[in-house]
Amino acid sequence: MGKAAERFVVEGLVEQTPAGPRLIGSRCRGCGTTYFPQKASCPNPACTDKAPVAALLPDQGTLYSYTVQRYQPPPLFRMDGWEPYLLGLVDMGDGLQVMGMLTGVKEQEVRIGMTLQLVTEPLYCDDDGTAVLTYKFTPAGTAL
Amino acid sequence: MRPVYALGAGAHPWGKWPEKPQLQLALEAMSAALADAGIVWTEVQGLVAASSRFEGGMGWGLHANEVVQAVAEQGIPCINVGGACAAGAIALQTAHALVASGQYDVVAALGAERMPKGFIPRPPGSADDRSDNDFLRWVAMGATNPAYWAIEARRRQHEHGTSERTLAQASALMRRNAGGNRLARYRDPISEEDVLASPMVADPLHLLQICPVSDGAAAVILGSEEFVRRSGKAAVRVAGCAVGSGQFGDPARRIPTISSTVREGVAHTSEVTGAVRAAFELAGIGPEDVDLLEMADNSAWHILAWPELFGFYEPGQGDWMLEQGKLAIGGELAINPSGGFLSFGEATTAQALLQVSEVLWQLRGEAHGHQVPDAKVGMTAVLGLGANGGSVILTR
Repeated sequence: MGKAAERFVVEGLVEQTPAGPRLIGSRCRGCGTTYFPQKASCPNPACTDKAPVAALLPDQGTLYSYTVQRYQPPPLFRMDGWEPYLLGLVDMGDGLQVMGMLTGVKEQEVRIGMTLQLVTEPLYCDDDGTAVLTYKFTPAGTAL
Repeated sequence: MRPVYALGAGAHPWGKWPEKPQLQLALEAMSAALADAGIVWTEVQGLVAASSRFEGGMGWGLHANEVVQAVAEQGIPCINVGGACAAGAIALQTAHALVASGQYDVVAALGAERMPKGFIPRPPGSADDRSDNDFLRWVAMGATNPAYWAIEARRRQHEHGTSERTLAQASALMRRNAGGNRLARYRDPISEEDVLASPMVADPLHLLQICPVSDGAAAVILGSEEFVRRSGKAAVRVAGCAVGSGQFGDPARRIPTISSTVREGVAHTSEVTGAVRAAFELAGIGPEDVDLLEMADNSAWHILAWPELFGFYEPGQGDWMLEQGKLAIGGELAINPSGGFLSFGEATTAQALLQVSEVLWQLRGEAHGHQVPDAKVGMTAVLGLGANGGSVILTR
């Protein structure tokens, strides 16, 4: 751990806490709505305060739906050893649904409603050897 | 507002036309529309072009100014509107307003597009950071557009028990309709087995259940009552015409975002359902009055789900309607008699204008080879990136 250099695919998406990774979203101080990723303002038309502040999302959610990305996406996406992967839509509570890759689960084991845990995994290695991480979801209880 | 009529429409067949510049596609569609309306360029008092596909105005597109500079420099207003894949509906809405206001008597709306191959990539020029959804969805998870539709389809299977076969039947129906439409790109019939045997793109959607991209162009000419009388054609009226944007709390998995904030009671795909509702209100009619619906079938899932969202029937009933043949030409509600996006491939900015063209020809009884019997009321519905929706109702 921590020997090789690491970075995330983009800054400001994930925070590594001592208890594990958490997604960084926003919670509006005015209307209480939670968003992901962080928002510059609050799109709730009934909210008059428009005061989103950074907030860590729960580290678990339930699977709402999913698919398998069978074809390699265009070049902006990068992944070492490309092969088809599961993509899930995960209900994080408070009405917030987040999309992300699934890991540690076979397609035939995936069930809508299953509890998932947030993890981070490298997608690819940069030319200078830096591991580039993204967030993923894995069946709860298997993350360690 | 004064009444506005669809005087004529024209389209360049959809396909891949590497030898034809976008401008050429546009000029051919406009020439066909002018001939259909029985007018000449000097009678056109304004041109609105659906000119851009993406948030921030980036991407492909054609400006109305390029068209008049090529073919008719006559001082008319050229208006260029964005709205991504809904841009054609926004162009029509704008042209409608110009005629309805009484300021102009004849205004054309035009969309022409040449699409790059394959999955639609991110356009250049936006910021590589987390403020850009289209950047995030690629770098963090590589979510292609079909993946979004597949996630909806999978959820529908979970909620309504929609079968793979029914989803395949939707594609087969579109292809059957396209068989008689010379403008469609894919016209060979396909069976449910063919659909299910085509490569899986994003489960449960196969290649033949997602719309490809194509080159194409379409133009619709709107005008006052005086002009439609002069044309001698059947008077087809724009009875309702509306555009809308998304509602807070909409549960749709909206391309290219990577999350939704869902609130109870908010319509799914609210940018389109809102436009549809507004068009119904303007026309003073409801779903029971509609003979045909030309809607954006970006995937087979859309064929099942969208009419339910618009109130044509209850959620989950789309499967039964399709299986019973009630959505076919000659059925209760003909869906995409043109063959839809699945048979055309999407030429983004042109697509909504092709929908309106199709409805016009249907209501005139001129949709040779794919005519809906005695069609009197036709509706369109389209969705564009950035939560743009549009809907048009024509009546005769």
